[in-house]
Amino acid sequence: MIYLTSMLGTPVIDASGTEIGTISDIAIATGEVFPRVTSLAFQGPDKTPFMLSWRKWVDSLDDDAITLKADQPKIRFSYLQPDEVLLARDLLNKQIVDTQGKKVVRVNDLKLSESQNELRLLGAEVGLRGILRGISPAVERAAVSVASLFGKKIHETIIAWNYMDLLDRDLSHVQLSVTHRRLHELHPADVADILEVLSASQRGKVFAHLANEQAAEAISELEDEFQADIIDDFTDQRASDILEMMDPDDAADIIGDLPYDKAEALLHLMGVNESRAVRSLLGYKEKTAGGIMTPEVTTVTEDMTVQQVIDHLRSDAAEHEAVYYIYVVENEHRLIGVISLRDLIISSPDTPIAEFMDYEVFKVGVDDDQEDVAEMMSKYDLLALPVVDENDALIGIVTVDDALEVMEEESAEDLALATGSMSRWTSSGPWSWLGQKSGWLIVWAFLGVGAALLLSIFSDNFTGFVSVVLFLPLVIRMAEDISSHSLAVMIDAGSVDERPPFMRQLAIDMVAGVLLGAVSGLIAFGVLELIERPLEAAVSVAVAIAVTVVLMAALGAVLPYLALKRDGTGWRAPSMLISAGVALAGIAAYLGVATWLFEVVRF
Amino acid sequence: MTPDRETKRRNRLMTLLAIIGPGMLTAMAGNDAGGISTFSVAGSSFGYATLWLIPIMTLLLALVQETVSRMGAVTGKGFAALIRERFGLRPSLFAMMLLLFSNMATSVSEFAGIAAATSIMGVSRFVTVPVAALVVWLLVVRGSYRNVEKVLLALSAVFIAYIAAMFLAKPDWGEVARATVIPTFIPTRAFIVLVIASIGTTIAPWMQFFQQANVVDKGLTEKDIPMQRIDVIAGTVAAGVIAWAIVVTTGTVLHPAGVTIENAAGAALALEPVAGQYATALFALGLGSASLLAACVLPLTAAYAICEAFGWERGIDRSWSEAPAFNAIYTFVIVFGAAFILIPGLNLIAIMVFSQAIGGVLLPVLLVYMIKIANDRRIMGRHASGPVYNAFSWATVLVVAALTIALVVMTLLGWG
Repeated sequence: MIYLTSMLGTPVIDASGTEIGTISDIAIATGEVFPRVTSLAFQGPDKTPFMLSWRKWVDSLDDDAITLKADQPKIRFSYLQPDEVLLARDLLNKQIVDTQGKKVVRVNDLKLSESQNELRLLGAEVGLRGILRGISPAVERAAVSVASLFGKKIHETIIAWNYMDLLDRDLSHVQLSVTHRRLHELHPADVADILEVLSASQRGKVFAHLANEQAAEAISELEDEFQADIIDDFTDQRASDILEMMDPDDAADIIGDLPYDKAEALLHLMGVNESRAVRSLLGYKEKTAGGIMTPEVTTVTEDMTVQQVIDHLRSDAAEHEAVYYIYVVENEHRLIGVISLRDLIISSPDTPIAEFMDYEVFKVGVDDDQEDVAEMMSKYDLLALPVVDENDALIGIVTVDDALEVMEEESAEDLALATGSMSRWTSSGPWSWLGQKSGWLIVWAFLGVGAALLLSIFSDNFTGFVSVVLFLPLVIRMAEDISSHSLAVMIDAGSVDERPPFMRQLAIDMVAGVLLGAVSGLIAFGVLELIERPLEAAVSVAVAIAVTVVLMAALGAVLPYLALKRDGTGWRAPSMLISAGVALAGIAAYLGVATWLFEVVRF
Repeated sequence: MTPDRETKRRNRLMTLLAIIGPGMLTAMAGNDAGGISTFSVAGSSFGYATLWLIPIMTLLLALVQETVSRMGAVTGKGFAALIRERFGLRPSLFAMMLLLFSNMATSVSEFAGIAAATSIMGVSRFVTVPVAALVVWLLVVRGSYRNVEKVLLALSAVFIAYIAAMFLAKPDWGEVARATVIPTFIPTRAFIVLVIASIGTTIAPWMQFFQQANVVDKGLTEKDIPMQRIDVIAGTVAAGVIAWAIVVTTGTVLHPAGVTIENAAGAALALEPVAGQYATALFALGLGSASLLAACVLPLTAAYAICEAFGWERGIDRSWSEAPAFNAIYTFVIVFGAAFILIPGLNLIAIMVFSQAIGGVLLPVLLVYMIKIANDRRIMGRHASGPVYNAFSWATVLVVAALTIALVVMTLLGWG
């Protein structure tokens, strides 16, 4: 294996053995999965740059030098071709998109392999190993052997050429191999994830290559905070073209976030129908049926036959987001019935739809809460739900994708409320655990401190034991938090197989416990010092709190594994019992350690 | 059509405000605990003798900050990314270590500022520093930092009180003017340390990274460069005026009285002419919020820059599993800064000044990177720095380097 970083700076020697320069770069042909190295760039005396064809002039390559086939005067130099990519200039140290892993990475090194007198690019090294080697091969070796002591390996992270998309250089005019995957070929949701980590100007470059339709889809998938910014950066014409292609509900969300002038300008440029649809949506409140619905809805009248309805769908509704149900309306758009696509297909063409149409329609009001809408769709297994105004006139539909988004949003909120964590709950590492739990925990810690201070005002006979008791509410509160954390793990993980390995989870929770314990201990120590308690009381309480937190963190890690049945169908112990058990264990440990330290050790 | 016109005017104002930002914000965050205490000590120990430094440093700061925001606007990349792409892995590792080290030192001084501010209000630092560290950490984790930023910025504006205090102190204006224009040099170690610290706190290494990141974040481009210049100049001049007012005030009130500042309460005395018995409270409020703001900015800047240089996931909205290095770095900087201040028996003012001196010593090295990038026409195109810029930038590098060497030599030989 050859690495680019070790090649750069190597002497270039001609056939007579004279050194004529040092390697400054190598170029590859872009059309293959493992591209051939086509040119060698080197720096002659006085930093003069030279370039020559690899195939014609390079004889051999080893660690110390690269040898050419001819003497210097005979060599014919060449120029960089438009389809050639220079490895050091265009790739090394640059940010690229890994279109397989779907993320943005920085290239630390490039790995090449030599076979049959050809040098080929295996891929870009983007992992820690490349950084270590780049610092020094000795550092890499040391790190690898240290890691192996712990039974771990530092793997190379190699991205093959056909999964790279360059951000700084435009490859759109270059012929790439058929298997080469460019950024814009990814699913719009993945493109959106990548766009979110790029800087504004890099995003601009990516969008310059996306067709309007792809851009529209990718923007729809972006987080709200980016959408308006990105639209704002386009020219008005392009922005309005892109907005036209989006579903009106998505477009309305974005336009609602734009400054008034810009929004008006874009709405004027959009097609009459599209802008009317968007305008009608802008008036509705967020988080209601009106806020998430699309006005694109297919309607027919009661007197039509099956064939007429199908013709109508073909001509009128081809662009509509969802046509799973066709709604039947009478004058003034009053909703009176619904027919399903299935009914339409199995009936003969000349049947009047009145024969099989369903007069019982599930519907929601335009101001209904979005959560209720989603619940209704889930309960009745609906793919779309019509939205009516106060006169029962049909004004739009909520489709299942919007409902799913709502449910995801709301369930995250609910779970967060139930478990006392503030942001979306994901089982990741000790830090996120600490971060997500700490919000409430700190509030409670402050409350506990407040209670402690209050007590101290009223209590004149203040012995060491009172200091200990002061922090009891804090311990109880922590115990509750630990048990609700365990419950959340159980609810979230479901079955045994889905959970991380036990030792790993234990290690994660222990690290979090030790950190939190140290912090809580310090706070307790600080408070007791502040209200001028004796030093031994402060130390005893601080140590006891630290020990208790660590112990309870361990309990929190172990509990889900003990409490959940092996097949994951239920819990062995009811949740109340778990909470009570944890609280008792916590209090016992805290009081035990504190009094033992205070009474027995006594400094 | 009146309402329409009004919206239009407001929009234009908003664009101005949106672009005016990075420079002003950076300059104001730069007037942090270290800055306030360094200038207070300078005024009380040496009177007006350091005044001449301030116009020069304001000019240099404007120059440096203008260069980085130009780099950000032209390339759309952060300073760390440019270092990596222009110099490769090893030099950027070196640069990132310098940045991390100077940010750790400055972070210590921010927590010292918090400790000093709360201790003059009678609350032990063993309580407030851990709490402040947690608050800072949570602000960053929760991403609500952006909103708090504005509040803290507004609060730290109480240092404008120094301008009022300066007038009320009735300095000898002729002498002030003379000291501002005519350089004085006192060849003692204490003076050189103060000069280096003043440079280090005015042109702190993290400010370049922070400024450029903000420019890139806002998506500013080449056409915004003129507006950016106005922003940078406005910000640095405002910061310079405040620094100047601090030196004049402390030089007038404290220096003749022979008061050397040993703690924050001493530094607060300078505000007595304007705030009377509330001087301490006013000083504590300003020092506390300025320190808190900078304490949020510093770990974030370090984490952003390092992750940018090495291509690791970054961003305040990324969880620990998504961006482990990012989260680890800023947590480390916060914990280090806070833990250091919990060592018993520290002289907080001395720590604040000394950590600024560390920044001053490391500054020239990072400036060399900046100058080389700003001169590279392949990166900067027609916006590459001109000869005047280069002359001033190199002069800064050489002067600070010379002062550092002088300081080391004097310390080794036991002079001054």
